[in-house]
Amino acid sequence: MIQLFHVKKAYPGDAPVLDDITLRVEKGEFVWLTGPSGAGKSTLLKLLFCAESPTSGQILIGGRNIGRIGQGSIPYLRRNIGVVFQDFKLLDNRTILENVGYALEVLGASDGEIRERSLKRLAQVGLDHRATSLPRRLSGGEQQRVAIARALVNEPTILLADEPTGNLDPGLTDSILKLLFDANARGTTVVVATHDRTLLSRYRKRTVALDKGKLVSDA
Amino acid sequence: MNLWRAPLPSLLAVLTIGLSLFLGASFILGVFAARALLTSWGAQASVTLYLDRSTTDEQARTLAQTVRVENPSLQVTYVDRTMALQRLRGDLGDLAGALEGLSQNPLPPSLELSPRTALQPSGVRMLAARLEQLPSVQEVDYGREWLDKLEALGNGLRVFGTGALAIVLGAALLVVANTIRLAVYARRDEIEIMKLVGATDGYVRAPFLLEGALQGLLGAALALGAVEAVRRWLLPPASHAFAFASGAVAPHLLPVHAAALLGIGTLVGLFGSWLAVARFLRA
Ligand SMILES: Nc1ncnc2c1ncn2[C@@H]1O[C@H](COP(=O)(O)OP(=O)(O)OP(=O)(O)O)[C@@H](O)[C@H]1O
Ligand SMILES: [Mg+2]
Repeated sequence: MIQLFHVKKAYPGDAPVLDDITLRVEKGEFVWLTGPSGAGKSTLLKLLFCAESPTSGQILIGGRNIGRIGQGSIPYLRRNIGVVFQDFKLLDNRTILENVGYALEVLGASDGEIRERSLKRLAQVGLDHRATSLPRRLSGGEQQRVAIARALVNEPTILLADEPTGNLDPGLTDSILKLLFDANARGTTVVVATHDRTLLSRYRKRTVALDKGKLVSDA
Repeated sequence: MNLWRAPLPSLLAVLTIGLSLFLGASFILGVFAARALLTSWGAQASVTLYLDRSTTDEQARTLAQTVRVENPSLQVTYVDRTMALQRLRGDLGDLAGALEGLSQNPLPPSLELSPRTALQPSGVRMLAARLEQLPSVQEVDYGREWLDKLEALGNGLRVFGTGALAIVLGAALLVVANTIRLAVYARRDEIEIMKLVGATDGYVRAPFLLEGALQGLLGAALALGAVEAVRRWLLPPASHAFAFASGAVAPHLLPVHAAALLGIGTLVGLFGSWLAVARFLRA
């Protein structure tokens, strides 16, 4: 599902942020991406959803070489990839339901379909009763659940999460992770970046470790 | 749309576009009016064909008829030698006595041509060149230097007008681009999320293009209103003050011109916002 061949990412004037990364993630896999701060975890995820492009090397997603597709194809690739961030990235001036529906709105879905599918996703993360609230009325954990609902509303084949529990109380971590595991159980390929080692030991999954831009272990 | 969310910058943009287009339109109308005035002066300059002194009355009349037939737009008057002398006498008035000493009439017969409709300077020039070829025409007088000057002035106005218009439109473009850039910047979080969930560039761009086009259109409408207002209320008293301009055609906007102005405003708005969003989308 995701393949990297000798991927290198360097910003001018600095040591490479990612250096010679070769990695393969199968369809339906769950992968922890870990490593100390500055190791290059976020950068690797950005390469996968085309927010950045590699300096060299090849990246294949679902068999397509994303270095070869044009700028115009990136939106269509992204519709197949859900992304969740540490800071939620919700729109403050829109309701919870509208935030989730946003991912369908930009695809030109009908109002009825947007509403139906958004409500279903909100129910899945246990927030359908807050559909008309604004994000700021929700707790951090609830906001992240909304963000996950938005990432999944389009039924993407890949879900990328960058420190999804980084801003949350440890007590909320499990409920967030459960949503990611649920998505994985339904067949979505999931990659979660975290520097929280306790998660890795609590939930034993394939773990890819980066350090200073190098892939140091994969087990 | 930002027009309602951030009315002040949008209003300023509309006003600036309006002002730019108003200046541009007034300028063009001014140039048109000046050129029309020049042409009317050019038309008044008549052409005189001086004939060989040995030309008989009959030859001259035949020539006049030929010219008339070939140039139906010209009024042709034959002035024979006697009439020419009489005219000179009349022109000299008290000094006419000086002519008494002449043993014979020194004046040649001539044909006086005046165009019935306004002629461009270049038309007058071509006409003169053609008439010079006719038999027994000795000299063609059409105020060559005067025409040259008129023509140069007309051309200068056109070049100056085009340049000024380009500058004014460029300024309007920058203003729209800048306003839309602010609007884009204000919505950057939303755009980031749009792009994240797979919105195409076109989808992101559309509302901003619409907004820019609307600003351009409103600005142009404003300019149109201002031009009309000036023409109706400001120009009539002013043209009384400048008697020399009374021959000028009052500048007026045809529906085509009004439509062109609105079209240009809209295009400027569209293009300006395109520039602003393109910069942002590339980043
Ligand atoms: N736009 C950029 N220009 C220059 N350097 C950058 C840029 N983005 C990231 N970096 C550098 O790349 C390195 C890796 O950053 P990255 O965000 O991928 O690390 P990370 O593993 O996600 O760290 P953290 O756990 O703190 O989130 C850092 O040293 C960072 O300074
Ligand atoms: Mg990071």
